[in-house]
Amino acid sequence: MRYREALNQALREELEADERVFIMGEDIGVFQGAFKVTAGLLEEFGDKRVRDTPISENTIVGVGVGSAMAGLRPVVELMTINFALLALDQIVNHAAAIHYMFGGQAKVPLVVRMPQGGGHQLGPTHSHSLEAMFLHVPGLLVAVPSTAADAKGLLKAAIQDDNPVIFIEHEYLYGQRGEVPENGGPMRFGEAAVRREGSDVTVVGISRMAVTAERAAERLAHEHELEAEVIDPRTLRPLDLDTILESVKKTNRAVIVEEGWPHGGVGANLAALIQEQAFDYLDAPVARVTGADVPMPYSKPLEQAAFPHEEHVVQACLALFKDL
Amino acid sequence: MATDVMMPRLSDSMEEGTVLKWIVEVGGEVKRGEPLVEIETDKANMTYEADTDGVLIEVLADEGQTLPIGEVIARIGAPGEEAGGGRAEEEKESASEEPEPEPEAEEKEAEEEPEEEAEPEREREPEPARAASSDGGGNGRVKASPVARRMAREMGLELAGISGTGPGGRIVKADIEAAAKGGGTAVKEREKEEEQAPPTSDVRPPTSGADGAKGEVRTQELTRLQRTVSRRMAESKATAPEFLLNMEIDMSGCVELRERLKEVAEPAPSFNDMVVKACASALREFPRVNGAYRDGQWELYSRINVGVAVAAQDTLIVPTIFDADQKSLGMIARDARALIGKVRDGNITPPELSGGTFTVSNLGMYGIESFSAVINPPQAAILAVGALKKKPVVDESGRIVARDMMAVTLVCDHRILYGADGAEFLARVRQLLEQPLSLAL
Repeated sequence: MRYREALNQALREELEADERVFIMGEDIGVFQGAFKVTAGLLEEFGDKRVRDTPISENTIVGVGVGSAMAGLRPVVELMTINFALLALDQIVNHAAAIHYMFGGQAKVPLVVRMPQGGGHQLGPTHSHSLEAMFLHVPGLLVAVPSTAADAKGLLKAAIQDDNPVIFIEHEYLYGQRGEVPENGGPMRFGEAAVRREGSDVTVVGISRMAVTAERAAERLAHEHELEAEVIDPRTLRPLDLDTILESVKKTNRAVIVEEGWPHGGVGANLAALIQEQAFDYLDAPVARVTGADVPMPYSKPLEQAAFPHEEHVVQACLALFKDL
Repeated sequence: MATDVMMPRLSDSMEEGTVLKWIVEVGGEVKRGEPLVEIETDKANMTYEADTDGVLIEVLADEGQTLPIGEVIARIGAPGEEAGGGRAEEEKESASEEPEPEPEAEEKEAEEEPEEEAEPEREREPEPARAASSDGGGNGRVKASPVARRMAREMGLELAGISGTGPGGRIVKADIEAAAKGGGTAVKEREKEEEQAPPTSDVRPPTSGADGAKGEVRTQELTRLQRTVSRRMAESKATAPEFLLNMEIDMSGCVELRERLKEVAEPAPSFNDMVVKACASALREFPRVNGAYRDGQWELYSRINVGVAVAAQDTLIVPTIFDADQKSLGMIARDARALIGKVRDGNITPPELSGGTFTVSNLGMYGIESFSAVINPPQAAILAVGALKKKPVVDESGRIVARDMMAVTLVCDHRILYGADGAEFLARVRQLLEQPLSLAL
């Protein structure tokens, strides 16, 4: 099953299971979604529960916040994460803070779904990877599934959760296939997956970079006799730091791979946590492989050079063992 | 999920331990709080109790094996759990690479249109955009990773003598492991192609064919305890700037007191017990003498625990009399007898050897009149006590009389004690011993 189909299945199952669930966004109904995640849902559930909206991101999320406070369980789709920037007031000032501001009297069981990622020559404004920006905000849960099974299990969990969830999909991953368990229920937030076991270096891959990290690990094993342990945190908040620390204590080395920018990134944060809590286990500085610290170039070769590929991960791992 | 059993830290100064005997066999049931394994530490043999319930599924340290603290020595798990069980391999997904045909796009802005999933190009070598690790410019500090530093500290290895094979010559974990094994530098198989650095830690004296000028050499391995003593004494001399204060104490009052106590107390307190009691009382008034210099700070301890150096077969053991300031002379005497007995019988336990805040060393029974001792680090001072000897002394009325004199030497760490501090403390000890009735209170 493809990643997009797994998401579609999760939405369908949750729409069926709970009549408070509804979905809303630009082109999600008649057009079936810019990435076809909502295919067939308008037909099946009608336009009260599958609502097309104008191009008005702050309003879309605002309606989601309000209806969530009023007792519904909205799942709003922003066409891409780039447009979430228009909705930051509703996300940061309202969705994230309301439960706290009203002393728990109101809750916001809202899911904001959106894909991120570069690689399609869409230039600096439409190629963002912004998980770090949402990770920054207390009150939001952040999911970054990298497989079809996780996409389904985590989306079901997100819809059933009473907290606002930023659910970050990836444009590249939509077409990837993976096994999805029949009748699989919701997964738990805050449980990392060890994609590959290894004893020499821990590689943490975020979102699509979990896939890149796993491929890099295969190359490290075949070409360099290094066994990398690949960890996909799956959710950034809550973060399963225990699994990462346990692995680092075994391998004594950590490399964090993310598509976003280096400064204030997920890797910067994770590197700080690792050195705070496993300093005496480190045999090398915690390394990061990140997107380049520039606006995303339009030129195809430059764009390819501006986000991490297996080769970067392989080189970063090797550099922890010897001078290159 | 199995629980790892780690080599426990059973004493302050323990860095490694030897598994003597597994009390529970593999497959046997383990109960929290019940004996699991006997371990020899640097100070004593200890029975270590399990801190979890389950079944001993795997033993990783055989009897006789020595491992640093923190190393896994066994695993406790559920009945039927497999040894070496790690996490079950995550099910792998067969992510297909072939781009799928997108559902037809309508008249949408081109840039918002989903493209085919692009496969990253591989033909060009992209510039890695990773944050580079800094190359700590040579300022004399040995470059070593945190884990290497920790292991070296725990094993008592000098980093300076180990050559690093990591990036930029950094000493890494593998180098420490190699040095600990006595093999020169660590060269992992995959790093074979790198040139081998000459071994530096594998030092062997040149052997002359025949016996040398000193005759046949018989080398003797140190016991763990002897190694601890040699390491800590060298550490003390190398780090503590010490000075000595000498004083003679008139013990005539103590001699008299002891004669009287002999009639009523069993065991009668020894002169050393009286010295311990006097020191403990004085330490309460001079907290810095009951302290330690550590990492640029003074640590002052609320409890007064006086260690008493005891010679035991070929080694030195310092059992502790805890809260000596709060104990009567009789209690100190009983504690000291019991501890010395345990040392001689070899069944003293690490808790009885640790926690000392001051040490008294007495060689009076060998007829030594006066001597110096090495500070027991990180304590601030040690009192070296000589033998009682009748000496002519001029008394208050100007007459020469014979008195029981005892020479003591206070060895002080100048980083926490200055001359006047030590002198005042010693004067107070003398005062207490010369008017010993207060000791009997």
